[in-house]
Amino acid sequence: MNTWSTALIIARKDLSLYRRDRTGLLLGLLLPVVLVAVFGSVMKFAFGGEGGMPRVTLWVADEDGSPESQKFVGALRNVSMISVRPRANQDPATAAALRGKVNDGEAHHALLVGEGFGEALSEAKEPPLVLVRDPGRLMEDRLIGIAMMQAMMSAGDGRSMSWMMGSMMRRNGMSEQGVKRLQASMEAVQSVIGMFAGGSDPELRSETAPAASADNFDMTAMFEGMVPVTKEDVAPPDRPKNLGFQLAQSVSGMCVMMLMFGLMACSSMLLVERDQGTLRRLLVSCAPRHALLLGKFLFCFVVGFLQLIVLFAFGELVFSIGAFRDPLTLLALATTWVAAATSFGILISVWAKSTKQAEGLATLLILVMAALGGCWFPVQMVELPWYGEVITRSTLTFWAMEGFQGMFWHQKPLTDPVMLRAMAVQWGFVVIASFAAVRLWRRRFLGT
Amino acid sequence: MTESADLLVVEELRYAYGDRVAVKSASLTCRRGEILGLLGPNGAGKTTLLSCIAGLLPSFGGKLTFDGQPFWPADDAPSRSRLGLVPQELALYGDMTGAENLQFFARMQGVESAQVAGAVQRGLELAGLVDRASDRVSAYSGGMKRRLNLAVGDLHSPELLLLDEPTTGVDPQSRNHLFECLHALRDRGRTIIYTSHYMEEVQRLCDRIVVVNEGVVIGIGTTAELAEQAGKPGANLEEAFLAMTGRSLRDEA
Ligand SMILES: Nc1ncnc2c1ncn2[C@@H]1O[C@H](COP(=O)(O)OP(=O)(O)OP(=O)(O)O)[C@@H](O)[C@H]1O
Ligand SMILES: [Mg+2]
Repeated sequence: MNTWSTALIIARKDLSLYRRDRTGLLLGLLLPVVLVAVFGSVMKFAFGGEGGMPRVTLWVADEDGSPESQKFVGALRNVSMISVRPRANQDPATAAALRGKVNDGEAHHALLVGEGFGEALSEAKEPPLVLVRDPGRLMEDRLIGIAMMQAMMSAGDGRSMSWMMGSMMRRNGMSEQGVKRLQASMEAVQSVIGMFAGGSDPELRSETAPAASADNFDMTAMFEGMVPVTKEDVAPPDRPKNLGFQLAQSVSGMCVMMLMFGLMACSSMLLVERDQGTLRRLLVSCAPRHALLLGKFLFCFVVGFLQLIVLFAFGELVFSIGAFRDPLTLLALATTWVAAATSFGILISVWAKSTKQAEGLATLLILVMAALGGCWFPVQMVELPWYGEVITRSTLTFWAMEGFQGMFWHQKPLTDPVMLRAMAVQWGFVVIASFAAVRLWRRRFLGT
Repeated sequence: MTESADLLVVEELRYAYGDRVAVKSASLTCRRGEILGLLGPNGAGKTTLLSCIAGLLPSFGGKLTFDGQPFWPADDAPSRSRLGLVPQELALYGDMTGAENLQFFARMQGVESAQVAGAVQRGLELAGLVDRASDRVSAYSGGMKRRLNLAVGDLHSPELLLLDEPTTGVDPQSRNHLFECLHALRDRGRTIIYTSHYMEEVQRLCDRIVVVNEGVVIGIGTTAELAEQAGKPGANLEEAFLAMTGRSLRDEA
């Protein structure tokens, strides 16, 4: 027999088998499409800022209320790389409320525009600006620095450039005389540029400024510390100094996701037992029938718990994430997440007609939930439209991440409302999923 | 209460998988201490019938009586403990040893902890696997797995043992060993329902035979009685069976 024709026959047979394997088709074709769609839209919202930079939320309180301060805040709103909160149509926030938000970990940066801002600006003096921030959020910090400079320039009709420059040089040790000279020469240059660019036409200015900064991003980055602000750092005292936000995020994200995969493999043992016939034998034995399902749950729970502890121990050893700083909280969160992931796995297993189907659906759901719930990328920091918020919050992984990030990053205690809510949502799922699993178990396995 | 001579009475049993009727109407009695053969071609509904008796398919129609009492094993663990099932497939854990399989299923069958070791030993002897007890089941031959499959079903000394084609893929030696085992079990007081489509096997082993065809019980009795029912007095079981069921393939309905 000819090698090629034989190979062709084998390939045709395999293709027809592949076509019949619905689950394989689903995984092979649908999964990539779904993941690209999900991840793409998350990224679109995440990096929808200027020059493809992530859009960062900045909370602002205007305590001055002068025309100048209003103009400055308005200019901040126009900088496309940040989203200013509260929105223009919402109630303004007070400085105290914003300090509270940063303290609670709800916000990472808040800019307080102090009383006397307008006055200081008109006298070309350093304005009272306080930036309350989580110092661990380095990327956001740099972007906000640049955004403030852009806003200051645009609000000050370009004139602020000279005093900002002067202020920066003064902070860096230049003598008062040097500063004066620098400012004089800059003003001269400014007026020449103004003549050519069409003077103070605001339309033109707001269009050219961002474009220029996008093209010369690196140059702009040098000026990220240009606007003089008083920095007020708010970080949990126990957080490891070397722990970055992204690191904490990805360690907990991977742990959350891998646990789901691990537990799926365990819970599909129920289907393996059905296929190999041992389940029939167990069902005929005098063991209480629901004990079989409960036994599977316990098995998955124990394995899952060990997996999670090993994962965190590894994270602690290699990345020093401070996993075991608060053992009680870790225990509560781990128990909660293992229970939730176990009920998820068991529910899929009692629903599925075959092991392949169970694993196919589970892979799809786990990857999509991981992407949406923030295991791969911090969706928590992304500005999403309302339906995006609804979708991310309807994933199980979101609440697991909320809990683990609450512990690792924000160093919240177990009794913090955010932590309690995250755990309550997961336990709610455990109850509902277990109830559904028992019903399906009765119908599919016991025939009642 | 006096012991009735009939251990199990099945009346008008009916079961359908969705639209496909697998057992149309099955009525039979199984006497205490006998080996009752359940003979029928592929697809006749033998496995379905046994599954209904064992409580695996609880939504059947008809009535089961066990030892004079209505029988409902699906919802009642003590009822199930009076039964032992040896499924048609090899329902064993391949990654566990023979002894571990026996031990686990003994626990599941509610054998008291103190008696588990004894039950495991008896099971190994029944299966003829005493010297292979600590080998993994996946390393057993087909015949050894079949023998273990039987031993697991009998671990808790049930009153009624349901055997679903226990000799599939077994050589004559192992088959003989199995038959000896079954006779020994009957002598110990076990009642056995034995499913097969091998006539000579059933004729040799069983006290009475139930002939099932297309989900209907079409005859019950000894070989001689069945030959008479088929209108061929003095015929052997095969002739009687073919006369009752016809000669075409039966599993294509
Ligand atoms: N799970 C199932 N779903 C749907 N139909 C089924 C199922 N199991 C069996 N059947 C059908 O029920 C009928 C009886 O099957 P059953 O397995 O009881 O026959 P059997 O006598 O044990 O056959 P064999 O000797 O081949 O084991 C067959 O037509 C079969 O196709
Ligand atoms: Mg069968």
